Amino acid sequence: MIDCEEYRERMIEALYGELGEDDKASFDAHLGSCASCAAEFKAMTATLALLDKRERPDPGPAFWDGYWDRLSKRLDKEISPAPSGRPARERLSAIFNVFPKWAYPLAGAAALVVVGILIGRTVLSRPAPPLQKAQQPPALTAPGVQQASAPVLRARNYIDRSKLIILALVNYDPESQDAYGLDLPRQKQLSRELVNEASGLKNDLKDPAQKRLRELVSDLETILIQIANLESANDLSAVEFVKQGAESRGIMFKINLAEMGPDGKGGRRAPQVKPSII
Amino acid sequence: MVTDEQELIQRLARGDRSAFRELVETHKKKIYFLALDMVGNPADAEDVSQEVFLRVFRSFKTFKQDARLGAWIYRITYNASIDHLRKRAVTPEPMADEALEAGFQSHAQIAEPQASLDPAVAAERGLLRDRIEKALRNVSPREKAVFLLRHYEDLSLKEIAESLELTVGSVKSYLFRAVRKLRTELVPCRTDMNPEASHD
Repeated sequence: MIDCEEYRERMIEALYGELGEDDKASFDAHLGSCASCAAEFKAMTATLALLDKRERPDPGPAFWDGYWDRLSKRLDKEISPAPSGRPARERLSAIFNVFPKWAYPLAGAAALVVVGILIGRTVLSRPAPPLQKAQQPPALTAPGVQQASAPVLRARNYIDRSKLIILALVNYDPESQDAYGLDLPRQKQLSRELVNEASGLKNDLKDPAQKRLRELVSDLETILIQIANLESANDLSAVEFVKQGAESRGIMFKINLAEMGPDGKGGRRAPQVKPSII
Repeated sequence: MVTDEQELIQRLARGDRSAFRELVETHKKKIYFLALDMVGNPADAEDVSQEVFLRVFRSFKTFKQDARLGAWIYRITYNASIDHLRKRAVTPEPMADEALEAGFQSHAQIAEPQASLDPAVAAERGLLRDRIEKALRNVSPREKAVFLLRHYEDLSLKEIAESLELTVGSVKSYLFRAVRKLRTELVPCRTDMNPEASHD
């Protein structure tokens, strides 16, 4: 039985004359017996013929003659040491050029962590008014309780492992790093494992006090699915999409909050008390 | 035996500026036109193409000397174009109109000055050009890059795979999708503007 799908896979090679002799004979024979493939091949051939007529505007000889000079000026700017009387912007730029490129995202991530800690302390450590204290949402008023429940411990572990994967991708700079340095196949494998764990974990985080933790696991799951589906570390638009997804969801900020918050590494476990409705 | 390209690579590795100029002179048109097709307007295309050469100069030490120089430069061009599009974060405008407004000469005007004077032919070409550019804007950057490298730069599927760090199978798949989308977009052109196609 003739498999049209198989021949359609060869259509591109046939269109561009990249089929071997035997394959071409087989392909032509198929076209002779399959009206649908023949029609598709004919339409594609006509499309390519039309695209051959496309004209790209040439900037002209003056543009090409001056191309090297313009490039050369940019190159000189990059490689020659700037004079002492250079503008402040260039001097500032020179100072920052001391650090390798990868240091900036790392510094950014560190700054985010610090800001997260500061905000977290401000928000979560605010003393409650005396009347509400007894009914304060559990995590905020449960000093001394050091042991977390099993789902919470699993969630912490889940968050830790997810964070490592997401950080590796967020800090990945294709300009300065080799794609192999990212070890995408390994990251994808780990992401898949975590995605498999997520639904069970979310079911176990039933307590209302664990709502934020459950939401974070859910957000992480979404990002991890995207990572698991990445085709290549060089597919910059896909990598960027994942980065933007993590950023728009405030993933790193939420992780930082979780680490020091009620269910996080701050060590204050959420007791099983209903939250206040006041 | 050392080929011209290997010799050029060795000189580039030594930081020989005249070798860098040779490289620029050899590749500037291909890189400019690929960047133009990717980013959509001449001013940005020059900026991107120069950025490509600056990246080549900066990072030549990372070039694996057994790889093909052309493939490496095409990869940098693709990455630089994507970076540019991301920074700009808008859909590129039709390039040809801008180019013509800027007083650029088109290949057609150079090759067929008589035809370009005929208003009817010029109008028909303008319409065709607009439709093709619109169709090309409707394919993804990856599909577009694969198509441009195959159709206009005449790279083999294997060379494209090397340039964009894809498998040959993925290249075929991207190319098939690109041509299929272009076919759908250009159906009215094939029938309205290219009567011989409809008589096939």
